[in-house]
Amino acid sequence: MAVIEKVKLPGPASWLLNWSRKYSLWMMQFGLACCGIEMGAAIASKFDIIRFGVIPFPASPRQADLLVVAGTVTDKMAAPIKRVYDQMPEPKYVISMGSCANCGGPYWDSYAVTKGVDQIIPVDVYVPGCPPRPEALLQGVIRLQQKISGENPSEKWLGHTTPIPVIPEPGLAGGV
Amino acid sequence: MFDITLATWQILVIKIIVILTVVPVGALVGGYAEHKVMAHLQHRLGPMYPGGFHGWATTLADGIKFLYKEDIIPAAADRKVFSLAPAAIMVPIIMTYLVIPIDRALIVEDLDVGIFYLLAVGSLSTIGLLMAGWSSANKYALIGALRSAAQLIAYELPIVLAAVVVAMLAGSLSLIDIVETQNWPFAIWPPGIGFIAFLLFTVGAVAEMTRVPFDMPVAESEIITGPFTEYSGMRYIFAHMFAEMGHMVAFGGIGATLFLGGYQPIVPIPFLDFIPGVIWFSAKTMFMIFLFLWIRPTFPRVREDQLQKFAWKFLIPVGLALVLVTGAWVLYV
Amino acid sequence: MAKVGSPSEERAGARGRVPSRHPEEGAAGAEGRFKTEEMILNVGPQHPATHGVFRLLATIDGEVLIDADPVIGYMHRGYEKLVEQRDYRQITNLVSRMDWLSGINNELPLALAVEKLMEIEVPPRAQYLRVILCEMNRILNHLMFFASFGAELGAITPTFYAFREREDIQRVMEATTGGRMHFGFFRPGGIKEDVPEGFVEGALAGVRQVIDRLPDYENLLVGNEIFKQRTIDIGILEEEAAYSYGVSGPIARGSGITMDVRKDEPYLVYDQFDFDVQSAPNGDCFDRFWVLIREVGESARIVEQAIEGLPPGPIMGKVPRVIQAPEGEVYVRCENPLGELGMYLVSDGDRRPYRLKIRTPSYSNVSALSYVLKNTYVSDMIAILGSFFFVLGDIDR
Repeated sequence: MAVIEKVKLPGPASWLLNWSRKYSLWMMQFGLACCGIEMGAAIASKFDIIRFGVIPFPASPRQADLLVVAGTVTDKMAAPIKRVYDQMPEPKYVISMGSCANCGGPYWDSYAVTKGVDQIIPVDVYVPGCPPRPEALLQGVIRLQQKISGENPSEKWLGHTTPIPVIPEPGLAGGV
Repeated sequence: MFDITLATWQILVIKIIVILTVVPVGALVGGYAEHKVMAHLQHRLGPMYPGGFHGWATTLADGIKFLYKEDIIPAAADRKVFSLAPAAIMVPIIMTYLVIPIDRALIVEDLDVGIFYLLAVGSLSTIGLLMAGWSSANKYALIGALRSAAQLIAYELPIVLAAVVVAMLAGSLSLIDIVETQNWPFAIWPPGIGFIAFLLFTVGAVAEMTRVPFDMPVAESEIITGPFTEYSGMRYIFAHMFAEMGHMVAFGGIGATLFLGGYQPIVPIPFLDFIPGVIWFSAKTMFMIFLFLWIRPTFPRVREDQLQKFAWKFLIPVGLALVLVTGAWVLYV
Repeated sequence: MAKVGSPSEERAGARGRVPSRHPEEGAAGAEGRFKTEEMILNVGPQHPATHGVFRLLATIDGEVLIDADPVIGYMHRGYEKLVEQRDYRQITNLVSRMDWLSGINNELPLALAVEKLMEIEVPPRAQYLRVILCEMNRILNHLMFFASFGAELGAITPTFYAFREREDIQRVMEATTGGRMHFGFFRPGGIKEDVPEGFVEGALAGVRQVIDRLPDYENLLVGNEIFKQRTIDIGILEEEAAYSYGVSGPIARGSGITMDVRKDEPYLVYDQFDFDVQSAPNGDCFDRFWVLIREVGESARIVEQAIEGLPPGPIMGKVPRVIQAPEGEVYVRCENPLGELGMYLVSDGDRRPYRLKIRTPSYSNVSALSYVLKNTYVSDMIAILGSFFFVLGDIDR
């Protein structure tokens, strides 16, 4: 993506790129534990995460944009998670779902649990709860979409640290 | 109508541009239709927010995003073959669009051997799948590629036999002639024969597109989208999304042409002639596509060996018998 | 049927004999075929078919799986050590998360064990409510496996239907306990609080809806010809093998063993209800799945009966303010949705258990996997994994 790296993107182009990333979040389901079931519920009929343009179909990390780490990350599982994250193509995002993935949760004093997936991969949105309700995951996705729409694509590719954009008041992602 | 004379090469360029636009647009619309049809069959809504109105832009967003996703070629992959495979899959599918008559005059090339050309070109994308599976240096991809090769060979035959039936009934290999001879669509008349051929064609088409219940080669929950496991970004949408959807639209068009009377009205009432052929053709194609989409959420997956048995021990004998019956019909009725 | 040795003997035996190319032909059919190279396929730990982080080292020859070696431990969280650091109230919430599909069924043996040690009598209303909640949780669990089995065979729609029904029952459970999956509702001595208004109607409506829709599900999968082709005579676990691997629950009942702790050794008030132990004789994927579907109906029957006979009264027995089990040891076994869940509690008189050994059903059940998976197709492997209803947290703890 040499062009994007060298040229300053005009506003509409960067809006288009952000918009396409925002509404085409192919989701790699990393259902590790209890939260995986609630992630399944979020995909299923009542909550239907596909409404927001989150496509939960890809089975291979190569086609995914969004990694949802849902559940307890054990030390034995940490390496595979890192590997899956590395296999995903840029630009990629991570949602850490549930207390266990955020900080260890009820296993805060266990000898086998990694206290927080953010120790191994960068996390964009944390969804609290044990397990979070499906609505909470939907809210996390909306937050992520708000974050994406404020991003500067060229900075993202150059690897600069993008300052976290000012998040507008919470609400539905509505509109275009 | 228009008093413009164009040089041959200009017409060729226009035709190429039209086809190259129709295929991706058709694929995007097909993808959106798939989302929505599946969702409503499963008590869901499907995409709602992308684009505003009922998520109409969801596949458009997919298309734009995949264009600039990072393109990963695995270190162990055979780089040249790996990069070429999506083209080898996509080009034959685009080529099938050349001979499908959208209306009497709206056809890129009315080949005398149109149906033969369709069948010959349609099976070429197998090579692309094999290339993709082999070059990915991934065991799942390899298994998927071998499965798809075996499957596409097996299911090409029922399609061929169904097409033979149609060619015999029409007495021509040209697709325009085939449409013109269908006073009643072949799926309705001659009774039985046309309908069985239509069923053979539909089953074969679903298998050729590697969709459920014949999606062993790409089974997500089993071998992780088979040959496309290692593909990312633009190569992935061309190799899988556009190819699958483009294939589906093409098969919808072929089915509409061969069995549903193409651009002719569905029943031979002169009153219906005021509706343009394009609309008849599109409606029939959409019906075929809906049929394909309907099958997907309905059935579980068939195992690889069962799938082969079904093709070789059931579909092909039925097809052969049907060819005999059709011969008798053409001779004596 | 061949005599079944220990898993290691079996595997050693398998390496010695010529692998058959085709499951139907047996070992004899392999002679005279050209030699092909075997390939090791690493399935998991992140694979869509392993519902969780299960890993399988599969040696495959073409499409045939000649050896399968399950690797577990990716979800080991050190439960048995953790409970030694928590007091009895806290353990309830911990064991609820052990097998995340049947939270309240995990809390039950712990509560029963503490009650047995402390000799607390549980009032009948609490016992009835425990039965109701346990059985509703069993329905939730079974519907989840119904969903995942369909998805693994490529039928995506049953998943969505099952989740719709799950939501209906989860709503009642949530109104009662406050949790959708992890309830933390059973206390030593009874339950946390009485059920809210409208519980009886809600529970009855939810359960009846499941009963009404059950025939639809059966038609959707069990009545489907492709489904039958994919599951009948696939992955056979014979009765004898099931015994020797210590398999329990729906998988054992699918192999013709009519074993159910609720019948054999009734706890709570299960002896007052009229229900059948569903079993099927063949031990293949289809039978296991059939038993699972039937058990949903049985659980619904129990819930209906229990709601009808729900007595009034207190919901908590006489429990001291500080729960401190006296010195001693006790073993309690219960029928978890996936099989027999046993808890061996040793107390030294402290507020915390000295030791809690947990015998989980999934752990014993998956030990039979490498036996069943031998000489099957890769596609059948998926069907078998789907029909061996296991939860990773339950295996690894």
